[in-house]
Amino acid sequence: MRSFNLLKTLALGGAVLFLASCDDDDPETPVIPNEEEVITTLTLTLSSDGNDDVVLKFQDLDGDGGDAPIITPSTASLNVNTTYTGVIKVENELEDPAENITEEVEEEGDEHQFFFMDSNDILSYSYSDQDENGNPIGIESEIMTGTDGSTTLTITLRHEPDKYAEGVADGDITNAGGETDIEVSFDIDVEE
Amino acid sequence: MSKSKLIYIFLLCSLAGTSFAQDCFYSIRGQIIDSHHEEGVTYANIYVAETKTGAVSSEDGHFILKDLCLGEYHLHISHIGCETEVLLIKLSSDTTITVTLNHTGEMLHEVQIEGEQEKRSTENVVELGRREITAKADQNLGNMLSSVLGVTTIKTGNNVSKPVIHGLYGNRISILNHGIVQAGQQWGVDHAPEIDPLSAKKITVVKGVGSVAYQGSSLGSLILIESGSIPNEPHIHGFGSYFFDTNGRGHGAHGQVEQYGKFAAWRVGVTGRYSGDQSAPDYYLRNTGNREYSAFAQVEKTFGDSWKSELYTSSYNTEIGILRGSHIGNLTDLEDALERDEPFYTQDEFSYDISAPYQQVNHHLAKLSLQKTFGSESYIIATYAGQWDYRKEFDVRRGGRSDTPALSLDQNSQFFELKWRTKIGASQVETGYQYTTIDNVNDPETGILPLIPDYISDKYGGYITFTNQREKIKTEIGGRVDYENQRVAAISNTVPREVVRFKNEMLGFNAQAGITYQPVHDYKVSFNLGAAVRNPEVNERYSQGLHQGVGAIEEGDPNLSEERSLKATLSVGGESKEKVFWEVLAYAQWIDDYIYLAPQDEFRLTIRGAFPVYKYEQTQALIYGADASVIYEFSDRLNIQGTYSFTRGQNLDTDEGLPWIPPGRVKGELSHLIPEAIGLKNIELNLEYGYVFEETHVDPELDIAPPPPGYGLLGASISAQKSWGKTRWTFYTRGENLLNTTYRDYLNRLRYFADDLGINVVLGFKVAF
Repeated sequence: MRSFNLLKTLALGGAVLFLASCDDDDPETPVIPNEEEVITTLTLTLSSDGNDDVVLKFQDLDGDGGDAPIITPSTASLNVNTTYTGVIKVENELEDPAENITEEVEEEGDEHQFFFMDSNDILSYSYSDQDENGNPIGIESEIMTGTDGSTTLTITLRHEPDKYAEGVADGDITNAGGETDIEVSFDIDVEE
Repeated sequence: MSKSKLIYIFLLCSLAGTSFAQDCFYSIRGQIIDSHHEEGVTYANIYVAETKTGAVSSEDGHFILKDLCLGEYHLHISHIGCETEVLLIKLSSDTTITVTLNHTGEMLHEVQIEGEQEKRSTENVVELGRREITAKADQNLGNMLSSVLGVTTIKTGNNVSKPVIHGLYGNRISILNHGIVQAGQQWGVDHAPEIDPLSAKKITVVKGVGSVAYQGSSLGSLILIESGSIPNEPHIHGFGSYFFDTNGRGHGAHGQVEQYGKFAAWRVGVTGRYSGDQSAPDYYLRNTGNREYSAFAQVEKTFGDSWKSELYTSSYNTEIGILRGSHIGNLTDLEDALERDEPFYTQDEFSYDISAPYQQVNHHLAKLSLQKTFGSESYIIATYAGQWDYRKEFDVRRGGRSDTPALSLDQNSQFFELKWRTKIGASQVETGYQYTTIDNVNDPETGILPLIPDYISDKYGGYITFTNQREKIKTEIGGRVDYENQRVAAISNTVPREVVRFKNEMLGFNAQAGITYQPVHDYKVSFNLGAAVRNPEVNERYSQGLHQGVGAIEEGDPNLSEERSLKATLSVGGESKEKVFWEVLAYAQWIDDYIYLAPQDEFRLTIRGAFPVYKYEQTQALIYGADASVIYEFSDRLNIQGTYSFTRGQNLDTDEGLPWIPPGRVKGELSHLIPEAIGLKNIELNLEYGYVFEETHVDPELDIAPPPPGYGLLGASISAQKSWGKTRWTFYTRGENLLNTTYRDYLNRLRYFADDLGINVVLGFKVAF
């Protein structure tokens, strides 16, 4: 059987390929997902009687993208030996108007907790709010200053921490576990 | 011998028979011969299912079955180290058969060359037959293949296991499911091949320079999953198997039925698996359960003497839990996890539940082929195949979104092929043309920017190979060209979000040559050389985003150029005095512009903290290594086997070791075969100890945690067979990590979070009819 020779096969193969190659579509324009879960902005407002409010803000609009976040102020000033009332607001500014994520954190209070730490241990903290089980959330807190000095305040929001683990309800993150949703730092000077 | 007839039968254990001839006075006489030594095989069992009578072969392999009536008989032929196989004999006169048993091939399947004029035959081939597949029925494809020397796995927990061959994995090796290159999301380190290994009659690993006959193969090794053609047997036959794993309390079952019917030959099979939390020696690994539901159907029909068609469809559906404690938000979480003895969320109670994080994967394949043969030497075959792959990955998410996938990719691929094979002079020539189109779409339901973009790719390719077999030398040479046109629609990760389009036109080349020289029957040398140009994959160019589980941002580079690679393998094997069988395979692959994930100096600050950044970069790489094995047979009932393999990967620009290269390993194995005892046949006892060395060739600073220390694992297995009426039963038990050793494996990405699996005992049986 020599009826099928190489040339014929090549021709047939070419024809099949040509037919198959007519389809040359571009992908349809992808739907840009509605990134409602993203957190772009954390604002901590510190207020105390007789002083102006101190507003610490961390804003990163492009998420994991390459643009650096904007942190204001570059260094915040607090007074010594003062008790500040802290209120945290978390937003998604990719949405217009910006979506208030604090509400979501509050609704799922038993699954969330903010933790406060500073690099030089010159601040102290206490929680002012509770979830349905009587454990802290940290949207509202009190932050106390002592002697003067410089420090870096780190605020962490954990999702699904074990709030019953040792020290967690007192604000110690060591045994909390869970995933970090937010971890931001602010430079602070505590001054006379 | 006036009524003589001639039958050739090829079965799994390589039985080949020839028969000669002349009311219940008929007989079947026969001889069982070892194909390797051409001597009679003693103590083979021949059992006639219809009459419940049998015989045992004598010292020179002869047997006789007397007092048979005219009619059809199923002969069950079994021998130690070989799964029982069935021959159908239509007795119309006294019949004499000769059965050739490839017994030593079983002992050292590495040196076995089988089949009709195999085009890959100058390469190093390892086969897992149905017996080996059944013995590891509880395992997924990756774990099953890791029993092959030179094959390891890169894992994300035990249920997500990708084969690594000679240091390459993912898109750099090809997996062929029933002749079709497996599409789907093979690029992901945490994406296991979407194939049920139990659908296969044979799984072949071709360790070498790949094959030019397939699109996408670029000097990586090949894995072939084949169900084989349906034997010409008019009765319905099949088998069912069940297995139970103590670790994870997993149940699984598989069944297959086939018939060479009057209208068409058909075969169908189903598999189900259901398991819960697996455990490390000291604790349960929470959320590591697994579900799988798979099925396949195969229909073959011939038209006249020269036309043959085949339809094969399969559906693979799985849900795989990922260790809960491995789900982290940022680098701080990862550091916390690294310091813990047991992972977060560890529970005291066992559970079958699967919750976030988990993967849900569905993969469907339909293949249709039509073959026309011309004489005995040539044929032309046209094939169409479609694959539909749906992958959803669920993460632990805020605001009740855990039920919404964080990654949702739908991929459809269509494949056409026209292949022609013939003989020109003394050479076998094969040429083929292939077209593949892939449409990859992200489902925006995720609410998260996609990790890889939407794209459509059209790939056209052609190849030609020449194979020449002479008395002692077999040579092959081949080449292929591919043209790919790829259109990409990505979403930017800058604000405002916008669609960015890319168009790529790429050419790929591949050339190979191989030679096998067998100067005497007992020795064989093979050398293979390949050169290839491989183009960057979509993930290497365009991936962007946070890689969960390693707490790192991974970014592609749209400007990557193609990889150029050269690979050589040298395989030497032989035997001495039918006692010692040995083989060494050495390989080296040099890759210019090797694409890899390179750690960057920068940390990227986000609202979730600072993340290390990895970018796809190119360098010069050298990957080399060797696999060696030796078997000593004290007798045909007792043998001892030793294996050793190592792989090195070197970044030649920085002179550092490449990450994710398997560390060296050594294994010793003792096998004892008992033909008959306590009413059971073919009792096989096996004891093995394997040691994996610590990976010392990478800079520990470049990893989140240094490579774990070396570890050794003890395993054992027992299997036995028994026949009841027309049914043939195989019972087995296998123990893994019998000493309950605590260890972590360098290539298991969950090593950052938890110990690897503790002791597991598998209990299973198979019944064939």
